[in-house]
Amino acid sequence: MTDITPESSSDHWTGARAAANVKKRHRSELYLQAGGIAALVIAFTMLFILVSSLVSTGWQAFTQTHAKIDFPVTQERVNAGNLERSNWRAMVQDAMVATLPDIPGVDERQLAIMLSNNAQFRLRDEVVANPSLVGTTVVLTVPLSDPYDQLNKGLIDRTTDEEFRRLKDAEITAFDALVSSGRVSKPFNWALFNSADSRFPELAGLRGALVGSFYTLLVCFALAFPIGIGAAVYLEEFAPKNKVSDIIEININNLAAVPSVVFGLLALAVFIGWFGMPRSAPFVGGLTLALMTLPTIIIATRAALKAVPPSIREAALGVGASKQQVVFHHVLPLAMPGIMTGTIIGLAQALGETAPLLLIGMNAFITAAPGTPFDSATALPTQIFIWADSPERGFVSRTSAAILVLLGFLVLMNAVAIFLRSKFERKW
Amino acid sequence: MNDMRKVERDVDTHIVKIAARGVQVHYGTTHAIKDVDVDILDNTVTAFIGPSGCGKSTFLRCLNRMNDTVASARVTGSITMDGKDIYAPSVDPVQLRAQVGMVFQKPNPFPKSIYDNVAYGPKIHGLTRSKAELDEIVEKSLRRAAIWNEVKDRLDAPGTGLSGGQQQRLCIARAIATSPEVLLMDEPCSALDPIATAQVEELIDELRSQFSVVIVTHSMQQAARVSQRTAFFHLGNLVEYGETGTIFTKPSDPRTESYITGRIG
Repeated sequence: MTDITPESSSDHWTGARAAANVKKRHRSELYLQAGGIAALVIAFTMLFILVSSLVSTGWQAFTQTHAKIDFPVTQERVNAGNLERSNWRAMVQDAMVATLPDIPGVDERQLAIMLSNNAQFRLRDEVVANPSLVGTTVVLTVPLSDPYDQLNKGLIDRTTDEEFRRLKDAEITAFDALVSSGRVSKPFNWALFNSADSRFPELAGLRGALVGSFYTLLVCFALAFPIGIGAAVYLEEFAPKNKVSDIIEININNLAAVPSVVFGLLALAVFIGWFGMPRSAPFVGGLTLALMTLPTIIIATRAALKAVPPSIREAALGVGASKQQVVFHHVLPLAMPGIMTGTIIGLAQALGETAPLLLIGMNAFITAAPGTPFDSATALPTQIFIWADSPERGFVSRTSAAILVLLGFLVLMNAVAIFLRSKFERKW
Repeated sequence: MNDMRKVERDVDTHIVKIAARGVQVHYGTTHAIKDVDVDILDNTVTAFIGPSGCGKSTFLRCLNRMNDTVASARVTGSITMDGKDIYAPSVDPVQLRAQVGMVFQKPNPFPKSIYDNVAYGPKIHGLTRSKAELDEIVEKSLRRAAIWNEVKDRLDAPGTGLSGGQQQRLCIARAIATSPEVLLMDEPCSALDPIATAQVEELIDELRSQFSVVIVTHSMQQAARVSQRTAFFHLGNLVEYGETGTIFTKPSDPRTESYITGRIG
């Protein structure tokens, strides 16, 4: 007892060992923070590289080179009996020859294919709609075909050996002549959103994929939301807690981790093979994605129901509300923001899902947007898959642009989820 | 405890409202309530006191069958209200809970308007036929709960926006809106400050004229202030039950004496 003096006990907090202890603790805190910041920096660098590479290739697809051309609609080319069957291709060729005379080394056909393949159809539609245009000159702004669009965007290197270049010297001369005539413009590429898929990059758009994805998600939501909430409410609020409910819970959690391609195979075998549903249809895609989204919604809903404080349930029970009234009048409305958040995140996941849609044929080449969920269609991720697989140079930037559009929708959906969560979240 | 006024101590009636005989409660393997016999009188405030975990709240929750909602709870013995067994198979626990109102430890208004909080019970039980009737019940309940003057101008405001004491009185208004015969209160003042506590205690005394009130409390002073009869629970046993004045001044059981003098609990 005598050797414990007041000095030695205060030594414990002020001595060299104590100082070393404090220093060590501060250092380890510093390391932890530095590690966290490093992880964050790495994650953001990755994200930045991804987005910037997409933007740097994709931004070109948001514009499209057009040329304003005077098309003389002459009587001799027009089939007076059947206007639609006139020689529109020849009229486009005439117009190009008239626009660019005297370009050595370029024949009439080469001049004509400077314009996109749909120039003749644009001209036809214009004249058929207004037959009084016959005998006049129709001025139309039409897209240039992909190689010239690439050239205009600087994606074809003029210094490359002619032998290895997509466009020959004479063709470049023709294009330069067209530019110097002041006919070439590069407006926003509305076709990217307004047109469906096409073999020609300059005409290809995402409309089919957007509408297809919309129908797919609609079907997915209409199925997965009510079924998911129903299952979660039953499991969480009404089901007896025993071995069976434990097994169901484990299986739902497992189902959430099943690779999506497995759901695709299941859908192929059951929905298409067995029930004979149509191939490539957004309806079937929605069914398939609903299978995948269900576990996500069930898990999110159960978590949201669990988060409703027991005091609210007791309050309702205390005034004589039945179990069902407690759930539907109080617990479910209070859990709704959490449920909506989970559902939106589940749908965002479904929006980006590719593999199951490939298996049910939603990667078909379809040149019209679907009118109903039962028509053939593609979806955004499968459209990206198709374009990424296409050899034309113009599809490179369009693939990136489509990815950007998809990412935009994902960001939008997640932002809505965060907004709902912060707006309706309750503090107890 | 010296300010107990003899006048308020008197029990007005000797009509037995709730009679419990040989009540046992098991939570899984835990024997929470051991063979409790209690007669709760009408128009009387009965206080349940005892140390934490003594089973007083558990017993309270038997009286409106709230323990039914706990899967592991098992209640045996008999509890009758006005001579009718409330655990009889013909009794619907949901309806029983409308007749035996309950106020909880933590104020727990619904995250809805003040009006909807009070109107909820009458609505789900179909007690009113018109909006005017419902308005009347809401006003009457809020008046009885001594909160009407504070909230009459903002019945559409959320109940969760009130102060703690107001919330608790709102919860009392909600509990009495279904015109129960018995009002159970589980430590209703434990989350309130002294002023709010005094308001709620005053209210409890007024409520006695219409209801049989059973209050669980940690505070012996509170039991002494508001109740006419007191039951002392210890380790799941009902140790002593009688007139509040007698319990606090001349306890017959040494355990009661130890508790009220602060040696156990």
